[in-house]
Formats: sequence, structure tokens, C-alpha cells
Amino acid sequence: MRQQQWWRIAIILISAIILGGIYYLLTRVNLLINPTLYLRGRLSALLIWSWFLLLVISATHMIFQTKRRNKYSEELEKLRYENKITRHRFLQRLDHELKNPLTAIRAGLTNVTSDHLSDYVAKEITAIQSQAVRISRLVADLRKIASLEDMTLEVMEISITDLLQETVDSLKSRNNPVDQELILITPSAPWPLPPILGDPDLILLAVLNLIDNALKFTDPGDTIEIRASEEGKYIAIEVADTGRGIPEEEQDRIWEELYRGSQSHGIAGSGLGLPLVKSIVNIHRGRVTLRSKPGRGSVFCIYLPIP
Amino acid sequence: MENPQKILLVDDEQVITDRLGPFLYRAGYQVQVAKDGDRALALVETFLPDLIVLDVMMPLMGGREVLRQLRGGENWTPVIMLTQVGESSERTMALLEGADDYINKPFDSNELAARIKAVLRRAHPGQPPLAVAERLRSGDLVVDRVRQRVYFRTKEIELSPKALSLLSYMIVHPEELLTRERLLDAVWGWDFPVGTRTVDTRIAELRKALEDDPQDPIFIETAPGLGYRFIGRVEKTI
Repeated sequence: MRQQQWWRIAIILISAIILGGIYYLLTRVNLLINPTLYLRGRLSALLIWSWFLLLVISATHMIFQTKRRNKYSEELEKLRYENKITRHRFLQRLDHELKNPLTAIRAGLTNVTSDHLSDYVAKEITAIQSQAVRISRLVADLRKIASLEDMTLEVMEISITDLLQETVDSLKSRNNPVDQELILITPSAPWPLPPILGDPDLILLAVLNLIDNALKFTDPGDTIEIRASEEGKYIAIEVADTGRGIPEEEQDRIWEELYRGSQSHGIAGSGLGLPLVKSIVNIHRGRVTLRSKPGRGSVFCIYLPIP
Repeated sequence: MENPQKILLVDDEQVITDRLGPFLYRAGYQVQVAKDGDRALALVETFLPDLIVLDVMMPLMGGREVLRQLRGGENWTPVIMLTQVGESSERTMALLEGADDYINKPFDSNELAARIKAVLRRAHPGQPPLAVAERLRSGDLVVDRVRQRVYFRTKEIELSPKALSLLSYMIVHPEELLTRERLLDAVWGWDFPVGTRTVDTRIAELRKALEDDPQDPIFIETAPGLGYRFIGRVEKTI
């Protein structure tokens, strides 16, 4: 972008110098041949001069504008970085402040659990216990997002084909098999997917979160298709489903922490799964996309760079 | 009936000690509570606990400092640290500085009771635990815990950092059933199920490096449907 700007300014200046030279030669020649022509020459000279002036003004303007824009984007970058640090500290403190009360609540609940309780009390305690565990999980997810930004990645070569195959196999062989149809499509011809570099545990976590998300927002009988393909310098991993889809106005916001879409009422979840996916993909220098039609389904896509 | 074993519970949060104290008492232990590091060190001398449950984050003197002073004074009382899961370095350090085990907050009291039982069963009173040894040996395998190096048949072997942490954790908990959930929590700091692959791939890496046959293992045994167990005899070396 910036380089283009400089080129434009250089072209304008060079053309201005050339035009100035032509003007000078014209006036010299005209004065010798014919005085009326000389007058006409002065007129055209005026035109050329004013044009030249205009060029100089617009060039200076452009230079200042570029400078100002650079400064602005630098400030914006700084602000974004500061925001990130503040947010990170906030998440860490929140996590820390929630841990001790949660430990106490869970220990207290264990203390009052016994065989001699009335059915009513036992039922209530079980309900509170499961909610305490739910908050614990939320805290754990928050912490994971906060720690992702400064953790050292354990980078190694990963075969996405193998990773997806094993993930789908393990989902199918689970104790409570899923009611949706799981389909995995990975290319084998003319060549299989090239390996990528990344932290296999984190990539797996991201993929599992997407599949888990798809399972939540589909019903028995729906189809979930997991596809991987080579797209230029990236490997694209798509998780597509025939579920309820996401309204367009919510599609940008679902990547925000703790955001719960209008479709998610009554569905268990922390609102942290997708932000976690986005963070993981970001630190691998990839990107995430979403295509969705309400009532038809959604396609979540992760792009991971091929080294 | 023999005397109940004694546990010293150290945490600055009274709301936690008020809950855990009675819980451990009902589990059959004699319990004393200390709310800071100084009091803990004083009670170690007078109460002579069989095991210390020690919180890492305390004002004035943190749990790690208490542990350092204990081990520095050649006191080998088993210690279970209550750690902050966010700090993975803190967890590794806990084991390196001679804690026998650690458990991340927030935890389930029953899980703490199970850990206490396991550590007490493993402990040899008056003798330094495996966790204070710089190097541990099991057959042809030597783990240098301080330098983070692993030798097999006298040759150094290359392991990924996660596999190394996993091996370091397993070798100080020999003969103990280590569930995948516990290993995830201890080594990765993840306390929710992410499928079995994460742990299993690292175990496979270890087995390959140690030429350990899963069908007839010398080091790592699979407990079907549950997790893994380090079955090699572990000894301290100099």
C-alpha cells in the first residue's frame, strides 16, 4: 500500500519536470519565429504552470496524508496491543479470584452429601454440584484463552489427514455414539494433504471444539461433514453441518467471548468454544471463516498455513 | 486401632480450610490447620504431620518457599501442593522442588483424598521421596529431572517436551493408576476431556522411544478403559 503511494508521487514529480522542460523549449522557439505565436505561447504557458502548481499541491497533500495515516495506524496498533494485555490480565485475575471460592463451594457440597438426605435435598445438592462443576469448566476455558497468548507452542509436523481420521474414529467409538452422521473427506489423489507445522494438542482442541459445536446445533439424523483440502498456501479444514444455522447479524459476534447466539437457548455451552478455536488458529497464523444459512446449516472453516 | 495419620492443611483461605479440615477428619485423619507459611513451619516441628497439604499462593510466605525450607532442612514429610493451573511452570517446579504431588484448584475433595492416600501409601517415613531426587533410574532408563534429559541404555534420547513432562510425572508416581484425566490435568493443565488422543499419542511416543511393547510392557502398562500405570521399579541415583 505505502509503496504504491510513493510510486504515484514519484511519477507525478517526474512528469512535472518533463512538462516544465517542454514549456521552456516552446517559449524559446516561439519568440524567435513569431511574436503572436509568442503571446499564444504565454497563454498556454499559464495553463501549463497552473497545472504544474496543482500537481505540486496534490503531491504534497498526498505525502502528508500518508504520513498521518502511518502515524494513525501505529497508534491503533499500539492501542490494540495494550487492550490485549489488559484483557489478558483481566482474564488471569478473574480466573484466580474464582478458583478459591469454587474450591470452597465444591468442598462444602461434598461435606453435606450423605446417604441420609431426603430425596428433595439430595436432588438440590446434585443440581448445585453440577452447576459448580459447570462454572469450574468455564473458568478453565477462560484461563486457556488467556494462557494461549503467551504460551510456548510445541511445534511439530502434523498430518491433518491422520489427526482428523483418529478424531472421527474416536468420536464414533465413544460410549455414547453420536446420532448424527459423521462424514470425513480428505484428499488422496493426485496427492494427499501436505504436513503442516503446529502444536498437535492445540490443533486437535480446535477441531474437537468445532465438531462439538456442530453436534450441539444439529439434531439426530443431521449430517456433519468434515472436509480437508489444500487451498493455495493453506490447508482448509471445514466442518459443515445441516443444522439450524446462524442468523447473518450474529455471524461476526459468535467469535466473541461469552457470546451466545439466539439459537443457543437451552443448549449447554460456555460461549468460549469458538473464541478458543479462533485464538488457537490465530497463534498458528491461520484464519477462521464462517458461512451459514438459518435453517440450512453452517460451515466453519479453519485455514492453517502450509510451511 | 492404630493412631490416625496426621495431616497439616496449609491455606490462607479460611473458607477452604473450614471445609477441607472436617472432610479430611471424617476421612479418618487427624488434621491441623495453618493459615500461613510461618505457622506451617512451626507446626511441622510440633505436630509432626505424616503429610502436608500446601497451597502455593499465600501472602508473605508462599507454598514453594515453605517447601524449599522444609527440604533444605532435610525434612522429607510428603507434600501435596495446591497449585494454580494457569502456571504450567509452577506445576513443573512443584515436582522438581520435592513436592510428592500437586492438584489444581478448583478440585474435588474426593480426588484430594485419593491423592493423599496414594502418597501416604508410597511414602517411606524419614526417607527422601522420589520427587527430591535429581536423577531417577528404572532398569535401562534414567531420567535427569533437573536437566530435563532422558537416557536409555546409556544413550540420550530425544523426546518432545510434552512426552518428557509426561514421563517425569509418571516416573515419580510408580505403581499408581494414572487416569487420562489426571494426566491431562497434571501435564497439560486441561481439566476437561478432549478425547483420548492427546494422552495416547504421547504415551505411544514414549513407548516407541523406550522400545516398550504395549502387550508385554516393562515401563508403561495400559489399564484398559482407565489410563496408564508406570510399572518399572524406580530408584534414586546420584
